[in-house]
Parts: sequence; C-alpha cells; structure tokens
Amino acid sequence: MTIKLPQNQKIVFETISPTEEKTFDQISEETNLKFEYISGASFALEEQGLISITTHSISEFSLTDEGSHYLQHSLPELRLYEAVRLLGELGTKFDLSQAIDQSSLDKNEVSVALSNYARKDYGTINQGKIVSSRDFDTQSDPEQVALTSINQGTEIDQSVIARLESRGLININQLTKRSIILTKKGASERKKGVQISESITSLTPQMLSQGNWEHLEYATYNVEAEAAPYIGGRVHLLRETAEKVKDTLVGMGFQEMEGPHVDSEFWINDCLFMPQDHPARTHWDQFALSVSPAQNLPPDLVKKVQSAHLDGVGTDGDGYHSPWSEAVALRVGLRGHTTSLSMRYLSGQAIGPLEPPQRFFSVEKVYRNDTLDPTHLLEFFQIEGWVMAENLSVRDLMGTFTEFYRQFGITNLKFKPHYNPYTEPSFELFGEHPRTGKLIEIGNSGLFRDEVLRPLGITCDVMAWGLALERLLMLMYGFEDIRDVHGTLCDLQLLRSTGVSY
Amino acid sequence: MPVVILHPNLLRKMTGVDATNEKLKEDLFNLGLEFNGEDEDGNFQLEFAPDRLDRLSIEGIARSLRYYYGQDRGVFIPQLNPPNWTIFLRHPIPHKRPYVTGAIVRGIKLDDSILKSLIQLQEKLHDTIGRDRAKGSIGIHDLSMIKTTETLDGMSSISYRGTVPSEPSFVPLGLKEELTPEQVLESHPTGKKYTKLVDGDQQFPAFFDDLGLFSLPPIINSARTEVTIDSRDLLIELTGTDQWTIDRMLNIICYALEAHGATLEEINIQTPDSTVRKPDFSLDTKNVDHARIEQVLGTRLSPNDVIDLLERSGLDGKTIVPPYRGEIPHQESQYRVTIPPYRVDVLHPLDIIDDIGRTHGFHKLKPRYPAVATIGGRTANSSLERAIRQVLIGIGFEDLLNFNLTNKTENFSKMKLKDGIEAYGSHDPVEILEPYSAEYTIIRTWVLPSLLMVLENNTHRAYPQNLIEIGFTAKVDPTKDTRVGENYAIAATITHSQASYEESKSKLQVLCQRFNKRLETLPISHPTFIEGRTASIVIDGEPKGILGEIHPEVLNLHGIELPVSAFELPLNSFI
Repeated sequence: MTIKLPQNQKIVFETISPTEEKTFDQISEETNLKFEYISGASFALEEQGLISITTHSISEFSLTDEGSHYLQHSLPELRLYEAVRLLGELGTKFDLSQAIDQSSLDKNEVSVALSNYARKDYGTINQGKIVSSRDFDTQSDPEQVALTSINQGTEIDQSVIARLESRGLININQLTKRSIILTKKGASERKKGVQISESITSLTPQMLSQGNWEHLEYATYNVEAEAAPYIGGRVHLLRETAEKVKDTLVGMGFQEMEGPHVDSEFWINDCLFMPQDHPARTHWDQFALSVSPAQNLPPDLVKKVQSAHLDGVGTDGDGYHSPWSEAVALRVGLRGHTTSLSMRYLSGQAIGPLEPPQRFFSVEKVYRNDTLDPTHLLEFFQIEGWVMAENLSVRDLMGTFTEFYRQFGITNLKFKPHYNPYTEPSFELFGEHPRTGKLIEIGNSGLFRDEVLRPLGITCDVMAWGLALERLLMLMYGFEDIRDVHGTLCDLQLLRSTGVSY
Repeated sequence: MPVVILHPNLLRKMTGVDATNEKLKEDLFNLGLEFNGEDEDGNFQLEFAPDRLDRLSIEGIARSLRYYYGQDRGVFIPQLNPPNWTIFLRHPIPHKRPYVTGAIVRGIKLDDSILKSLIQLQEKLHDTIGRDRAKGSIGIHDLSMIKTTETLDGMSSISYRGTVPSEPSFVPLGLKEELTPEQVLESHPTGKKYTKLVDGDQQFPAFFDDLGLFSLPPIINSARTEVTIDSRDLLIELTGTDQWTIDRMLNIICYALEAHGATLEEINIQTPDSTVRKPDFSLDTKNVDHARIEQVLGTRLSPNDVIDLLERSGLDGKTIVPPYRGEIPHQESQYRVTIPPYRVDVLHPLDIIDDIGRTHGFHKLKPRYPAVATIGGRTANSSLERAIRQVLIGIGFEDLLNFNLTNKTENFSKMKLKDGIEAYGSHDPVEILEPYSAEYTIIRTWVLPSLLMVLENNTHRAYPQNLIEIGFTAKVDPTKDTRVGENYAIAATITHSQASYEESKSKLQVLCQRFNKRLETLPISHPTFIEGRTASIVIDGEPKGILGEIHPEVLNLHGIELPVSAFELPLNSFI
C-alpha cells in the first residue's frame, strides 16, 4: 500500500537524496517552499522513520565595531611598532611619549598597544623608554590577517580565534544547521510511489477524539479577507443618550420622577400659572384628547390655583385678565412638557409632601402638535430637572446647569433673559456647538414664580431647567434628520452603524 | 416667538448712541432680545418673548436701550391733552365684544418706515396679547376723514354698537366696491380668516360716524379712513373681551406714536353706565423687599444701586423703609416701585426683580453650585426596564424607539384586528381631538404594530432583523383619574428566512428564566398570528401576553417577504 502524505511532506520526501545530506536551506531553494514548511515537513517525516535529520553546530564569525576599526587602521600594537621603527634603529631606546606621538594613536588605543606590544614580543617597554627588538612585516601579523579573512569570508586561521574573541574584536555565533537524508525505509517506500493526503479546512471533534489530526494539513486561509457581517444586539442610540443623561443626573444627586403621559390641563398648565387663554393651550400646539374630563382633582388645590390665576399671590400680586374655569382645567390632553410631573411632585400628590433640599429629574416623552420635519417631531424626550432649597438665586440656577452641560462637553454657556409664564427670572441657555463652535440654544430655565409654588404649599425656592434630548443627540452626533433615528420611520442601517458613545 | 424687523441705523438714531452692530446685538441679547439674522438690506431680525410687548416696535426697543444706557431715567408719562371726542357705546351692545377704548393722536409726521413699524406693532399686538384679535383688536384711522357734527358741549362723537349682517354697506380697506358686513365675512380674505370671531352673531360690532360705518372690528377698517403718510391726526380705537387688555394695548401704541413727536389727546368713553377718559396712564405700584432682590440675584446691592437700576429699567423707586445706618441695608428695607402704563407683565414684585437683574446684567453674575446635598436614584420601573433591555440586547435583539402616536389602520386593520374582537392589543384607543395629520390620530394600544412598521420601512436592509421595543401604550379607562390607562409593553420580532415560533419562545424562555418567572405558553387564537402557531404567554400562572408566528396576510399588508415570529407582554409581568 502506498503511503499518503500531505502535500508539503510529499515534496520534501521526493526531493531529498539517499546518499547526500541536504540542508533545509538547500531544499528550500530547490523546492521553492518556505523554510518553516521544510522544517515542519522534515520533522514529520522523521517521526515516520522515512528520513533522518543530522544536526550540525557551526560557528559563524563577525567583526565587532572595534574589530572593524582595526581592520581599517591596523591593530594599535602594529602602529606603535611602525612608529618606533620610523624613529630609528633596532635596539635603540626612544622616549615612549615620542613614539606614541609618532604613531598618532588615540588615548584608548595606547593601552591596547602597550599591552600587546610586550605580549607579542616586539620589544621592551621600560621606565618611559621603548625599544624594538626584531624586524617583521606588520601586514603578515596573524591576527590582522584573521580580521581580513573574517571580513572577506575566507578561511580563517583557527589559532587566533580565541585571542581575537578575548580582545573583543570578533563575535562568534553558534548556529544549528540541519541536513536530511533518506533512510532505507524511506527509500523503499519512495520506490512504491507516494500519494497526497487531503488537507482539511475544519478540525472536527471526531478528529480530535480519534487522534487522526496528527498527519493532517490545514488549508491556508486568506486571513486578510473581510468576514461575514454580524448584526447582533444593540441599545437604541437615543435610549443610550437618555441613559447617559440619567446617569449624569443621578450622579449629581437627582431622583427620577414618574407619572402619566396623559394628564389634565390642571397639572399640565394651570398649576404652571399659564392663563387659560394662552395660545400654547390651544389644540394648535397641544394635543387634546377625546376622552371624558379628568376626575378627582384635589379640591383645595384647585381653589388655590384658581385664586392665583384670578387674584395673584401675595400682597402685591395681580392675577391674569383672563377667564378661569374648572371645566377647562379638567380637560385631558397629552402633556407638552414633563413639568406636569414636577407639579405633581411639588404638590405632594406623587410621593407625599417634600421638604427641602430636593433634586428631581425626568427624561421622558412629551408631545407637541407640530409638523413632522427633519428637526421636529410630534413626540420627543424632554430632559427636566429641578432643585428645591432655601434661598436659591439665579446664580445657583446657572451653576447647576453649567455643571450638567460640562458633562457633555458643552462649555462657555451664555444666559439670555427670557420669559416663561411660570418662571421669573427665566433664561434661555446658549452654548457652543461642540463641532461648529456656533452659539446655539440648548435649554430653557428659571426660578418658579410664587404664583406656582405658594398654591402648592411650597414656601422655599425651586429652580428648574429643561431641554429636548433630541437636541442634545443632534449636537453630539450631527444627524441631519431626526426621523432617521427616533420613531417608526427610522433607518435600521443608521442605527446599526453609528458608533457607541461612552 | 414673534420676530421684529428693524434697521440698526434707526436704533442708533433713536437712542442717540453710535453703537456698533456688534455692541447693539450684545446689549439687546442681555435685555432679552435674540438676534436671529440679518436680511440683505441690513435689517435686524430680533426674536423676543411676549412679556415686554412695548418692545414690539422699534420705538419701544429704542426706549429700553436709552434707559439701559442711562440716557433716560425713571417713569415717563407723556402729556395728555383734554378730550375733544367721545365714543358712545350704544345699544345693541355687541355681546361678544363689549369693551371699547381709544385715543386721539395729533401732529404725527409719518413716513414709510414709521408707518410700516406702526403696522408691524399692530399686527404683533394682535398676535400676542390680542389672542389673534379675539381678546383685543386695534383700528387706526385718519381722523380728518371722520365726519361728525359737534354736540352741545363742543365734542365730536362717534358710536360703537352692533349692526345687522345685511347693512349698512361700506367700502372696506383695499377694495373699491361696497359690501355689507356679511358680504365682507364671505368674500374679503381677512373676513374669511376671522369668521370664527363673529360668525353666528346676529350683530356685527361696528363703529359709525355721520357718514356711516367706518370700522368693522375685529375684521377690517373702511377705505375711507385709511392712514397714509400724509395723515396728520389719527383716531386709535380698540375693542375686545377684556377692558384691561385693550387699555394696555392702547397705551403701548400711544407711547410708540408719542416717540415720533405726536401729541396725545384723551377720548371720552361713554357707556350707558359711565363716562371715563382714555387712555388711562395711571400708575401701578408694588412694594419690593430688598432682601428678596439680593436673594434672587445672589449679589449684594446698595439702596443707591437698586434705585439706579430701577430708574434705568424705566421704573421709579423710593425707599419706604430706610436702611439701617444708611449703608448696610436693613433686612426689612423695602422700595415702593412705580410702574409705567405700557407694562403688561408686572404681576408680582418678582417681575420687578427680573427687571433689576436684566439692567444690572445677569451675565455679570457668577454661577455657583448650590451647596445642598441630595441623593440621586432611578425609579423601580426605570431600573426594571433597563434590566429587561439589557437581557434582550444580550441575546441579540436590536433595541428600537418608536412613536407612541399612530393611526387605526396601522394599529388595528393592518394587524387584522377587527372591532369587537377580544384579543391582545384590541383596546379602546385614546383618540386625538382634531388631529392635523391622518398618520397620527391615536395613541397606540400595543407595540407590535410599530415593529412591523419598522420592518416594512427596512426591507432593503440586511437580515436578520431581530427587533425589540419596550414601549408606551394607552387605552381608554374611565376608572382612572385621567380616564386613560397607561402601560409599558415589551415587544419582539424575529425576521429572517428561518424565523420560527420556536426561536421566539426560546428567547422568551431566557428572559423569564433571568427574572425567575415561571413561563407557560398555552394555545390560543389571535387574528394577527397563524392559527395553531399562537400561544398565550402565562407568567407565574397569570395570562399576560401573546406569542406566535405572524400571519402571512399581515406580512403581505406590510410588504414583508420573510417570515416573522413575535411576542409581546406587559413590562410589569416581571415585577
């Protein structure tokens, strides 16, 4: 039965000789296979007894920097000798310093020259005097010659190797070279002929358990090629941004609010001291719903809010010159802002009466009867935060959101005095666009009016601010059309391909 | 927000300060007027907030700047000459528009830009405090075109009363032919726009002089009394549903006209019950606590500072409780502040403190972080939602955020849910009153339709498309205070060529196991799903949701050409 070998092994097997040893390098050249393949194949063949590998150890020599220097300029002791010979006759005593000057050796070379001059028996050095005692041709110095031989790669006088090494003039590398030769068994198998065994793509559990992975070759992969796309799970971009905002606010000591999306006008607008004939309360701006009017409004609170609207709050407070009716307050609609939640919390209705200090927030949906276009949605997320404490000033307001926006890389805030029916003073916040550097509006804020707080029973101060989450998103990512991201018109590809923010 | 258009050159002229455009923009910003852009003629477009209606015209803005720069100080009351005219409020008193006021303006020198500014002011007042003319509307007339015979006491008189729809006829502004009041309503563009304010009325409010009808508020004036740049004397009349509102609108117009050198003259308003003289320039006062000023602004101010800031805001201030020792303000010190009659926004001493802040310059105040400690946290529902989302993402779902608003076709018919069938998702939907768009008319009752819409819009994107949403749903519920029951639901769809019931159930199993919930799936029928491949999701013995392979007819209605398996159940199933 003919043996089966993987391809590389077969090539090597058929190339080697039964009589002559060939090195891996030689076989690599002959077969055009890379050295690593020859090596791997050979060990495999050896294990099967088809070839035998002999390992030789060879020394390789190379010159150090110092050695190269002396190759060019001659060994220092030779130059010293030549200098002495130039000064005069053999056997004459000369001043050592004179000889050194004549030789133009530099400082480090002097000591080298002196020690070797004596060792090599060129003459004597004694009490500052130097003598040359014999005549010879410096160029035939065996060590010098050896330097040239090493450099040229010709045969080297082995007797001086040790000396050159100890002088630090050469490096000796020990190399292992292997050569292979066909064994008797190999020769006879080769006569029968060799077949190629298959290379495999996948390692299977059977191969691993049965152990027949040993003689297999693995098909080479193009490891540079693109792999098949993988989709996998992922959080929604806007949700991710909302989470980041929530984490930031929780980190600043804010507690989350929760409450209804559908609410009575009372909580959405009346508590906020919005006159009942305010344009923003018409269905041009706000979604009214065709359900029955709300029920169970706290009667005392309704009375107080009504009184605030009609007669104001405080000794010098004036009300609005607008009609007020409970019927309007009981109408049900989709909230246009999450300040309805803030009112529920401040009134004590949500989680009981609150004492200062308090910080609360919400990042949830609000609804506006707008036209759907690249920058406007009918429903979007509002970020709302408020702080209740004694003696708050507008500076505390500015300080709180300066810190909040800083967490999102928006600095250099400017505050423009503004108007809201429910806060006084009020500010619109402007910040630098993180990429274009333009000044853009990034939020609305203010101190709640007495007309809002006193009916709710709050005697200290409350400051609040808000902005649309989508606005923050557009700033961070630079999307052109918010509908690609938020809502049923989204583009899955955009959601999939936008990078993660952290 | 309203936008006012004006030229900076005019501002420089009217303030007498040669400020650069940049400085003007900055000062206006600090007063609260936002620069929105410039047109090709160099006009500024300024966006502002509707508390300072006196700034709706360049005259008001220039006045604010003059105060800000310190060139004017304190409350200014223009001279008011005694009346020569009377407006009689006669029967039938227009019951939808029973209040009237007015003034005479003499010796005005109009040019194109002032006339344009006046018209812009009129329009903006209508849009804001006038509540789109319903609460108050303004008519401006050339006085010389109004014909009256003098009464015994030498007064000229006009009357304001209701008239029948069919007479009299008059030539409305901008037209050549005579129309009756009801014809104006039908054929004139302004008539059509404001039909809602007079429609159904048997009497149309109107002003009459000896020649007939010359004004039909809130709709249109007559051509006869049209104001041109040659007009010298004007009649300003206002009508509406609230006396205070129209009186204030009148004051703002008077101040704007007086700024161009006109003289103001009172008018008698004679009703069956009373006679009053308008305009009413009487001054409101409010007391402001020094302590509150310092607390709101977060900075120390001396009484002199406060008085100076008040005067530079166009107010007058007098210390009524003197500061202790003259320099250090006593905590009880108070100011009596006088407020000019063109202000509509000062309801409370806080509004005055806001003025002080703006004049001082809020931008000069240094932000500080409030030194109160509070503990932050998430609500339990919010934490649960996040945990559920993380598990679902971890098993390979792409998280979505869809609209809560939808329409009945998407929510019901395209899911094969018909009226009267009791099935998951088929609840009485909460409907929007008078929606703009047919696409968004209800709040969704379940989340799966939204996922199917996303699948429909993304058939050109790679598969698998394994989508989830933890979304808001609502239904009508008369037992709730808001009459609406709100809920969050977890919905998932699996879409690829091998999508199956088993795969959905296998993912649902993981979810239930992670939250230690016992899951059973009992056979059920549901029109959205394939019969025999649908189950009711039962969590800890309670039926909660629905699971199955989506019916091919539903897929067909959505243009989806791969099988979809899905489930949905309420978020609170996992509490």
